[in-house]
Amino acid sequence: MSSSEPILRVEGLSAAWGTTPVLEQVSFEVGRDELFVLLGPNGSGKSTLLRCLAGLEPLSAGRVLLDGADLARVPAHRRGIGLMFQDAALFPHRSVYENIAYAPLLQRRPRSEVDEEVRRQVDLLGLAGFEDRAPDRLSGGERQRVALARTLAARPRLVLLDEPFASIDPELKAELRADFRRALRAAGTSAIHVTHDRPEGLFLGDRVGLLFDGRLDRSAPPGDLFNDPGTDRAARFLGYDVFPGPSGLEAVDPRDLRLGPVGGAGSALRVVAAGTTGGERLVVLRTTTGERVESRSPDEGPLPLPGDVVVGTWTRSVRILPTGAVAPAKDAKNRRVFERA
Amino acid sequence: MRRSLGELVMLVPIAAFVALFALLPVGLLFAASLSAVGGIAGLGSLLTQPLNQHSVANSLLQGGLSAALAVAFGYPAGVLLGRYRWPGRELVRSLLLVPFLLPSLIVVLGIEDLFGAGGLLGTPFPDLSFFGHGTPGVVAANLIFNVPLVVLLTAAGCETASAELEETVVTLGGSPARAYRDAWGPATWIGAAAGGLLTFLFSALSFAPPLLLCGERCYTVEARIWSLDQVLLAPSDAGALALIMVVLFLAPTLGYLYLVRRLATPSGRQARRARPLDRSATTIALVLETGAVLTAVAVLLGAVLFRTLVPVGGAGPGSAWSALFGPGTARRLGIGIPAAVGNTLLFAIAAAGITVVLAVPAAFAVLRRPGRGSGLGLFLFVPLLLSPVVLALSLATFWRPLLGGEGSVWVLVIVSQTVLALPFALQSLGIPLAGLSPAGREAAESLGAGRFSAFLDADLPRVRDGLVTASLFAFALGLGEFTATYFLVTPRFTTVPVALYGLVGARQLPLADAAAGLLLLLSLAVFLALSLGGRRVEL
Repeated sequence: MSSSEPILRVEGLSAAWGTTPVLEQVSFEVGRDELFVLLGPNGSGKSTLLRCLAGLEPLSAGRVLLDGADLARVPAHRRGIGLMFQDAALFPHRSVYENIAYAPLLQRRPRSEVDEEVRRQVDLLGLAGFEDRAPDRLSGGERQRVALARTLAARPRLVLLDEPFASIDPELKAELRADFRRALRAAGTSAIHVTHDRPEGLFLGDRVGLLFDGRLDRSAPPGDLFNDPGTDRAARFLGYDVFPGPSGLEAVDPRDLRLGPVGGAGSALRVVAAGTTGGERLVVLRTTTGERVESRSPDEGPLPLPGDVVVGTWTRSVRILPTGAVAPAKDAKNRRVFERA
Repeated sequence: MRRSLGELVMLVPIAAFVALFALLPVGLLFAASLSAVGGIAGLGSLLTQPLNQHSVANSLLQGGLSAALAVAFGYPAGVLLGRYRWPGRELVRSLLLVPFLLPSLIVVLGIEDLFGAGGLLGTPFPDLSFFGHGTPGVVAANLIFNVPLVVLLTAAGCETASAELEETVVTLGGSPARAYRDAWGPATWIGAAAGGLLTFLFSALSFAPPLLLCGERCYTVEARIWSLDQVLLAPSDAGALALIMVVLFLAPTLGYLYLVRRLATPSGRQARRARPLDRSATTIALVLETGAVLTAVAVLLGAVLFRTLVPVGGAGPGSAWSALFGPGTARRLGIGIPAAVGNTLLFAIAAAGITVVLAVPAAFAVLRRPGRGSGLGLFLFVPLLLSPVVLALSLATFWRPLLGGEGSVWVLVIVSQTVLALPFALQSLGIPLAGLSPAGREAAESLGAGRFSAFLDADLPRVRDGLVTASLFAFALGLGEFTATYFLVTPRFTTVPVALYGLVGARQLPLADAAAGLLLLLSLAVFLALSLGGRRVEL
């Protein structure tokens, strides 16, 4: 197997709960040592997709290939895919050491090697001194660290992370994200991380895929994705304001939306709410068609009042297409381009 | 966390009731009996008497054998019920309660109808008559009651297991067997162990099966106490033996309480997403075993129903029923069947009403708090430590003279049925309460509702199902209660189960079958009321 071959290839994966489709024709690849982030709103099918890859949910169509081998008949415990849950799911009656040593012991590695593996994971995830602690004496962040250490100690070929920071305090999240990224890099493991948190996804991913209503909208490196969201739905999810322009839809970064008095050229907007968020002014507005948009600017001058009508202008925008007017297609480099449907 | 004055006030009624009608009479009975037999030394000499020794041995043998077999038969079916999703699952869950809700006499009668002389199975297959009498018959009767309990408690254990932990084990490379051992199996073991201990207690203290299916050589301690008091007229010996029994069975009772609380996790029993049935050998074996368990229960109840319609001796279906309601039966029992039905319903309704009135405030005051295992919480479950015979003996000894002799019998029957139903009503309320967040009540209070209004508007509706279940469960237990009632009643206050016992004892099997049919109809009505609302009884 060439090292340039992807570790994971997902082809036309569909899954359903009873008769309700949850995932439809999802296709993507994950490269070796790549951290692929699946970003999407709650209920878009992210967790189900991970469960399908791990072998915990049946596929209704499609294939999952790991290192080129079809996993259709491979049970979950033989796939070599580690899955880490949002609530860590630690063994409550085992210490931190015993939790991390669980998989190496299952693999019947020699005791000295198990000790070495645990020590390596403990160092990597900053858990030194916690080895003898019971899980109920750990904070949320510490529990997640132990869960990742336990997953990595199994030396999986692919790690799946299901919203691991969802219940972590915001102040801790940034540090934890960085530590996770560093640990995954050090382990040399490919990983898929799912989240609905936009900054988290864009920060972590080597490549980011957007999942809406069970369909993969597109995937690209975070910078490319942000600079070219493609559709109005993706643009809105990535935080853009969407305006109809003379030659189609335009996505405007809220930091580029300037507000002025009525009379000038631009889009008429009604102020819904206005306030400051630590040095930045945030104004929430509605367009004449009822769309919600935001303006973010330095906190200067008097705040507009709810009900005020203002005019929005911008100097930069990205051209996008309406969702449904495009059909995703995959290019040879596993990048998505958009064609008119 | 300190309890508020309001919570303590809510506890006063149940605490007073348990103290007055359980702890006080039982304590006085034990003290008087202990003194009469000559203290601890007297207890020792009581235990040297062969018949008493024999009753203890019988209790341990019948209880141990029944518990082991009930776990062996019930555990696989419990796993299938708790872990897998299949058509009719909830109906089966409800049906499994039927044997528990039935009077023990119906099961005894079913054993007779199947394996006894002229039995539906014993006649064509004479070898099966082995199960129609003696210890095998008693154990078979115990199993019909208790295997469903093990099934239900094992299934409850399944539902407390963490699905994420199981999936974590699998994705870490653990085989399904390893996932069972390390992730979801231990929770089922707790459920099965709780079921096993409950089976042991119910079987070791069983009353009607050894009396009717075997006689003196199979007497349990419970039956021996009854015999000492009612037949040999040695109430002090009966009281002292009751004390020995309570001490002997204290450990398994506390063990059951401990285990069943572990099934009520802080977040309550979760509706874990059950997995679809697959076609693995293990699953097929589970399905077959469950089918066998359900068939055994259905065949036994079917035999009673069949004999209700086609009496032994070949008489027409209507003859036994008309004889049951005829003057001959009234003369034999000292009361007409319609009056016995009236007594049964009256006692059961009154006991259920009092049980709920006492249990609801207590459950809210104690059980919704973390640390349900506190001394106070445990106190509420004291009645579980008391067998029906011990309770009835103590009430008859202490309260009957105070309340005015025979005229007080109806009061004591209602009191005994209430005391016996309280732990199960508390359990039915406690499980939903354990998962009840205070947020709704606190929100109501922050909106200006008083404490009582917040309780009525926010808390009570959220445990409404538990409340209805507790009421129906208490009613069903009262409907089928035989042991304590038999100990206490006079002919005027005879209930249908007591009448049924008289008819079985007199070998009037066609009449007994008709009476059993009547009880079955009453019990099935309660079962329907329980299952129609999709309610779940917690054991």
